[in-house]
Amino acid sequence: MKYKYQNGKLTIYLEEELDMNSCRTLRGVIDGYIMKYQPYELVLDLSGVQFMDSSGIGLILGRYNLIKLLDAKMTVVNATSNIRRVIELSNIKLECVQYE
Amino acid sequence: MNENYIKIESKAKIENLASIRVCVTSFLSNLNIHFDELMDIKTALSEAVTNAIDHGYSQKNDGIIITEATIIDNEKIVIKVVDFGTGIEDITLAMTPAYTSKPESEHAGMGFTIMESFMDEVIVDSKIDNGTVITMTKTIRKRKSS
Repeated sequence: MKYKYQNGKLTIYLEEELDMNSCRTLRGVIDGYIMKYQPYELVLDLSGVQFMDSSGIGLILGRYNLIKLLDAKMTVVNATSNIRRVIELSNIKLECVQYE
Repeated sequence: MNENYIKIESKAKIENLASIRVCVTSFLSNLNIHFDELMDIKTALSEAVTNAIDHGYSQKNDGIIITEATIIDNEKIVIKVVDFGTGIEDITLAMTPAYTSKPESEHAGMGFTIMESFMDEVIVDSKIDNGTVITMTKTIRKRKSS
């Protein structure tokens, strides 16, 4: 995982496979950066993610809830078509997901 | 009927999740399945194995999981995931979208929804304190154009 912080915007570049095993570590790491920088916007960039199951949805939703508590904004970008299908199945509307 | 299968017996450790996925995906790639369909099966499998480890054994790491992938007549795929854990008390409730028995651990409650959407058929057979058998089938429609 890589990250970039610039002008109040925290971008997290997620990589490889998002499943229950990787998500449980990532959760703490990402939340650590969120608390450290208190960004006004969090961007989750999924361009490096090759596989994601519902644990990934849990990871996205959990960060979304935290970001809302901080009164900040969150966007999810660059999901491949296969990952997009998994996200679209979650009945919780993620208005923050941007494609392409 | 032409049948081929692999059977993976593993400890119910979350670290084994990726290995099981790679193993089954590699076995199925003999079929020349289109990438999208292979990803669907891989995702459904991942959900079933995650459930077995996380719910069947509550991540206690002391159980065993058996994952079986069968190819019938080069077009029908059957994935079976067996655990010998706690079993599911209310299957209908467990399969409800967005329902999770562990809200504190940040689950989306989408496991069964994904299995049912990505596979043709999902059968759940569960007995309290005996374990759960998930059987999922899918007929291949899209092939790689090679």
